[in-house]
Amino acid sequence: MVPVFIGVTIILFILRSPGVLGGDPVRMITGERAISETLYNQIVEKNGLDKPFYVQYYRYMSKLLQGDLGESYQKGRPVTDILLSKFPNTLKLAITAVLIEMFFGIVAGMISAIKRYSFWDVLVTFSTSVLVSLPVFWFGMLLQILFGLKFKEWGLPYLPMSQMQSDQFPQIVHLILPAVTLAAVSTAYTARIMRSQLLEVMGQDYMRTAAAKGLSGSQVIWGHGMKNALIPVITFLGLDLGAMVGGTVLTETVFSWPGVGREIYLAIGQRDWPIVMGGVVIIVFMVMVINLLVDISYAFLDPRIRYGRQAT
Amino acid sequence: MKLDKRTWFGLVLVMVVVGMVLAVAGCGGDEGTDTTLAGGKPVDGGTFNVYINEPAFIDPVNLQESEGTQVGNQLFDSLAKFDYKTGALQKAAAESWEANADATVWTFKLKDAKFHDGTKVTAADFKYAWERICNPANESEISYHLSAVKGYDAMQDGSATELEGVKALDDETLEVTLSYSFGDFEFVVGHPALAPVPKAAVEADPVAFSAKPIGNGPFMMAEPWAHDQYIKVLKFADYYGDEPHADGVNFQILTDEDTAFLEFQAGNLDFTSIPSGQVEAVKAQYGVSDDGLEVAPAKQALTGVESAIYYVLINNKNEILSNVALRQALSLAVNRQAIADSVYEGVREPATGIVPGGIAGYLDNQWAYSRYDVEAAKAKLVEAGYPNGEGLPEIILSFNSGSGHEDVMAVIQADLAAIGVTAVFDGLEWAQYLDKLQAADYMMGRLGWIADYPIIDNFLYPLFTEGGDNMSFYNDPAVAQALMDARATVDTDARIAKYQAIEKTIGEAAPVIPIVKYRHHHVGSDRVRGLVYSPQGLLNLETAWIAVAAE
Repeated sequence: MVPVFIGVTIILFILRSPGVLGGDPVRMITGERAISETLYNQIVEKNGLDKPFYVQYYRYMSKLLQGDLGESYQKGRPVTDILLSKFPNTLKLAITAVLIEMFFGIVAGMISAIKRYSFWDVLVTFSTSVLVSLPVFWFGMLLQILFGLKFKEWGLPYLPMSQMQSDQFPQIVHLILPAVTLAAVSTAYTARIMRSQLLEVMGQDYMRTAAAKGLSGSQVIWGHGMKNALIPVITFLGLDLGAMVGGTVLTETVFSWPGVGREIYLAIGQRDWPIVMGGVVIIVFMVMVINLLVDISYAFLDPRIRYGRQAT
Repeated sequence: MKLDKRTWFGLVLVMVVVGMVLAVAGCGGDEGTDTTLAGGKPVDGGTFNVYINEPAFIDPVNLQESEGTQVGNQLFDSLAKFDYKTGALQKAAAESWEANADATVWTFKLKDAKFHDGTKVTAADFKYAWERICNPANESEISYHLSAVKGYDAMQDGSATELEGVKALDDETLEVTLSYSFGDFEFVVGHPALAPVPKAAVEADPVAFSAKPIGNGPFMMAEPWAHDQYIKVLKFADYYGDEPHADGVNFQILTDEDTAFLEFQAGNLDFTSIPSGQVEAVKAQYGVSDDGLEVAPAKQALTGVESAIYYVLINNKNEILSNVALRQALSLAVNRQAIADSVYEGVREPATGIVPGGIAGYLDNQWAYSRYDVEAAKAKLVEAGYPNGEGLPEIILSFNSGSGHEDVMAVIQADLAAIGVTAVFDGLEWAQYLDKLQAADYMMGRLGWIADYPIIDNFLYPLFTEGGDNMSFYNDPAVAQALMDARATVDTDARIAKYQAIEKTIGEAAPVIPIVKYRHHHVGSDRVRGLVYSPQGLLNLETAWIAVAAE
């Protein structure tokens, strides 16, 4: 994990570091307007821009280990403070999306597998194909227009289209549209995985044995089928939580949800590299931690997998 | 197709869940202000909902970009202000002012005013605020506003801790001595960043002050800035001027222009920008404002002038492009209308000089060669010694790629080809691009310039005299001298006349190619009255009102 982290940060540092790819780093920070020489030198000194690349990287990493991600070029505030205030919002959105994905994905996949080749199977297969191919920002805007704008116009109960809170709605209601948008594509994948896994399991000998010994259809599915079919689905969901933490940029931007993704999006536009760098570092770290947890969880889900022990 | 019981059960369950979600959502019905339209008489009450992006700063110490300045303008009053429509100078925190004969010493008399915390605004608060901006420790990027003030350089290089030229003679009198004559200084002090700040509050907790600034303006912070969410301000009851009609303003911080526009359509915003591609549709649906600046019922789309210009740089130091006739030919060859129409959907208009609209003393058609005339361009090319472009090497068009400038450059490339001039692209990353400009290592480039104050000087002195902002490297000692002479003129009308003449003179040399003037692409709701969006991008929220049901 550590070499991966170091590798990723070096690549990021090369990409983000003002001056590494050419150009005056101070101009990159301050823009085209001429500034005084004193301020220029001050910025150079403060950011260590006159130091070689490896020294800048060493300084960044030493500070990083102390929880210091530097200071925003544009906002003049510590990046750690800015991102930590946003991180719970991103996590809230990602967890809600995974819950939506888990519920609807598994249910749809189950129905589709059990009622194979029925109207419902076709409906699930068709709708998942549509969802997978929809661009996130477009789907988000579609939901905004339908549930926010049109429902209000038609006098129906409507949903908020942006932001995290308002006097009008509780936060959980603000969460609905962005979470559904974020969950859409993954729900489709979950449904498909669930369907194929369950179909595979249903063809196994032990399922026939269970049915032969007199268990009812639902007992066979729930008692024997689901347990086995769910392992890859849960693995996917775990990994997807990590992907969602990193994949919220578009959703947060469309819905003005104040999370890490939106912060990175804005920072890229403003060339505020400490925020971009810090945001990506946090996301990479989170994805790595979640992946590690998923790997560890295999041992619990599948007793055949054991870590750190030689096979005998 | 037959559906079994379980399928029906599942279907009903899903419908129940959706129904519950919608029922929860329904807790927010239409409970806002009654939007029944009232007549022309101002009505008190209500809250404006205005779309902004996340500002960089709302504290005057570094008030620089449009969003922060919009908020800062409601919280703070500087010595002067500008008319929201004409840009004419008006009194704000200063009751009166006068300059000496050569415009080097300015004396301002202050109005009796209070800060939002109830303390009195004094001349010392102005001095403190200006020194706070000039103090290098505060890393302000806007200290250049005060570069004319005596002692500015000493503060910037750290050899002084006070601005020598700023003196608080008593609580109500501020005397400012400049290091050179500058008749437009009275406009400079109208910038919202040069407002007073209460020293005690700032020094007690600078971070808290930046999140909840205490100013002397018509509105005060209702709560600290909720970053990336909103900034709420309330009417300041002890304001020295006319009390605002609205109870407050809710600046809603949204990231996406399209989302903001949807919120506007849903009636949740009173003011927003129009997303690209929708300008014509919005104009048709909401009607177009008569003067392009003020929102009125059924005349809600604003397309008025902005004090900003987009221009093509020419490196006047370049051996080939130092040829004046060649520069004139290049300028005549560019079809600005085509750029305005095809690239900017008609939201911008062809530039006929370097000074855009919304500036005191603005005149149209000031630059003789800032027009589209292919035949005249060909004739100039002959005069320059390159008939039909023969003998002329390839012109390199440099620009910062990825921001849509490619499209502008593509039109220019085609226009130049039409007179026989071959141009090639040189798209660069921003920092590299600026490096090239600064080092004069380019042939032609592009930049935009936005006015800090509505004065002609703002477009002539920085861009055409020696200094860090003059990237075309145009250098005419006679023009520089004429500009200094204009700056030393105290009488406003006489000064403006001099600037107008200088603008014309500079245009003869075609040192750059003005392309388009910016225009608003904004829209206001049908419940606001008297709302004006100035060419400088500021809203007059202190005098506009919200129409509510007549009692």
